[in-house]
Amino acid sequence: MSFYLSAVILGLGFASLAMGIFISMRIFNIPDITTDGSFTLGGVVAAVLISGGHSPLVALPIAFLAGAIAGALTGIIHTRLKVNALLAGILVMTALYSINLALMGRSNLPLINTPTIFNSLFIPGTEIQQQFIVLIIIISIILVTLVWLMKTDFGLAMRATGNNEKMIRALGVNTDVMKIFGLALANGLTAVSGYLITQVQGFADINMGIGIVIIGLGSVMIGQILFSFKRKETIMIQLLGVIVGSILFRMILAFALSIGIDAIYLKLVVAIFVLAVVSIPNIKSKA
Amino acid sequence: MKSILSIFLLALISCSSPQSNKLTIGFIDQLQDETLEKAKTGFFDALKQNGFDSSNIEIIYRNAQNDQPTMLQSLDYIISQNPTLIATNPTLPTISAVQKTKTIPIFMMVSPRPDLAKLTDAEGKAPANLFGAYETLDYLDTALLLIKSVLPNAKKVGTIFNQSEPQSVDALARIEKTCKEAGLELIKMPVNNSSETQLVVASLLTNNIDAFFALPDNTVFSSMEIIVKSCDDKKVPVFTSEEGLVSRGAVAAFGADMYQWGFQSGIQAAGFLKSKSTVGLQPQIVSVRHRVYNPAKASQFNLTFDSTFTSVK
Repeated sequence: MSFYLSAVILGLGFASLAMGIFISMRIFNIPDITTDGSFTLGGVVAAVLISGGHSPLVALPIAFLAGAIAGALTGIIHTRLKVNALLAGILVMTALYSINLALMGRSNLPLINTPTIFNSLFIPGTEIQQQFIVLIIIISIILVTLVWLMKTDFGLAMRATGNNEKMIRALGVNTDVMKIFGLALANGLTAVSGYLITQVQGFADINMGIGIVIIGLGSVMIGQILFSFKRKETIMIQLLGVIVGSILFRMILAFALSIGIDAIYLKLVVAIFVLAVVSIPNIKSKA
Repeated sequence: MKSILSIFLLALISCSSPQSNKLTIGFIDQLQDETLEKAKTGFFDALKQNGFDSSNIEIIYRNAQNDQPTMLQSLDYIISQNPTLIATNPTLPTISAVQKTKTIPIFMMVSPRPDLAKLTDAEGKAPANLFGAYETLDYLDTALLLIKSVLPNAKKVGTIFNQSEPQSVDALARIEKTCKEAGLELIKMPVNNSSETQLVVASLLTNNIDAFFALPDNTVFSSMEIIVKSCDDKKVPVFTSEEGLVSRGAVAAFGADMYQWGFQSGIQAAGFLKSKSTVGLQPQIVSVRHRVYNPAKASQFNLTFDSTFTSVK
């Protein structure tokens, strides 16, 4: 069963990314491609700092900040320079590719016999148990903090910006600042995800972020559909759905791998499984 | 919601396969690729020659389709099945496997020497469970100097490289050094993915290069045809270090024989399957490198190759 546990671990690692995508996509309606770059950025910061002898605990806030700066840049380019949000994200992502290469000095940086966040917290158990517990702790902290933040006046203004920008501006909220902050937060979370995954897999790679935004979007959508039976969608339920969506996405792939599908059809089969999971509840509710 | 869960659980239960007493081996490919396929064929041929095939071993084959999380999960699955050994092809699965298991022997192929992949520890030792065959960068010197011996008047050599691939960047650094020593001017341009190749090669060709050297990286592998076509238009011959690229239009190459690379790793793996002991085993440098040329291309550029070269179609 440790195989499915490691799928859950990857799912939890990507949950931070999925929550970041939830903020940019569902709250602000911005498809944020910066994700591909800031995910790798978080991984690169982790690999460079940890292999340089720094504690993984020190690397965590730095990874978050690095991602947040990238996100803020996208936000500034979008709001102040009036560049389309999609293009702003693509530009920052493209620029981050060079930044990431420069930071690492090479395209792949393994972490050999270095401490990780999972074994630095003095949690007993095997490596995989430590990973599971630490990830549960980190994702819970992120979840609780986000739920709290979204319920403050500031958070409500942020959510309102995504719902009806004109109205909220008329109420005297600076929506540009809201968007910049929101994108910074989203990409900070994405970078934390890169930081975690780098330590789970034991290396950072320049291509680790390519297409990662799709994983996040998929998780957000799966989570949304899974919890659609709840009448009242509180922010807590929505974020929990995103986390479950992220784990389910990994479980589906794990299942596809374990039944030994012909390698050529792997992605097709995964797509069909995901389709089945998200469509079955709808078919039933209409019947 | 409940119905989905029950379907999922049912499926999980139904797929827990019955245990057989065959040996299990795992084989992981990073992507679908003709060159990697050769190494894989070599590996399994070596096992077969030593009496191991699907009749007496259980092979778990997974291909990550070039997706890193999929590759990790494939490895997780293979490891969860407690295989006797894991074969990894090429570098990225090798690095991940080393991180994921310290006990199951790993037989690598199409991977660099452990220190070039930064897999050695502080004392410079490779992981204790890493075996198989690796390559250094020495072959590049010989491959590059083919240009000098075939085109004595060549002055300028052009190349493209991919910054995102360690082997490409390392190889570039090596050929820069070799070019300098051989008195050749190297004109290099970076490419990030195969969709940019045509543009970059076209821009490279405006520098009046005498020959193009194709570094064996994934970008070149996926866009060789357009490189050859662009170079043909400007009458610039392409040299490389990989046989597969010669059959796709390069003039000549010197480098590792991919089939033999996998075969060598397979021989080691077969030895381990027989003895069940890794004593005396260690990663080996790839043993078969060869010179090859493409007869059609050779006549197109009026070049002749002696009997030390094997012709490929």
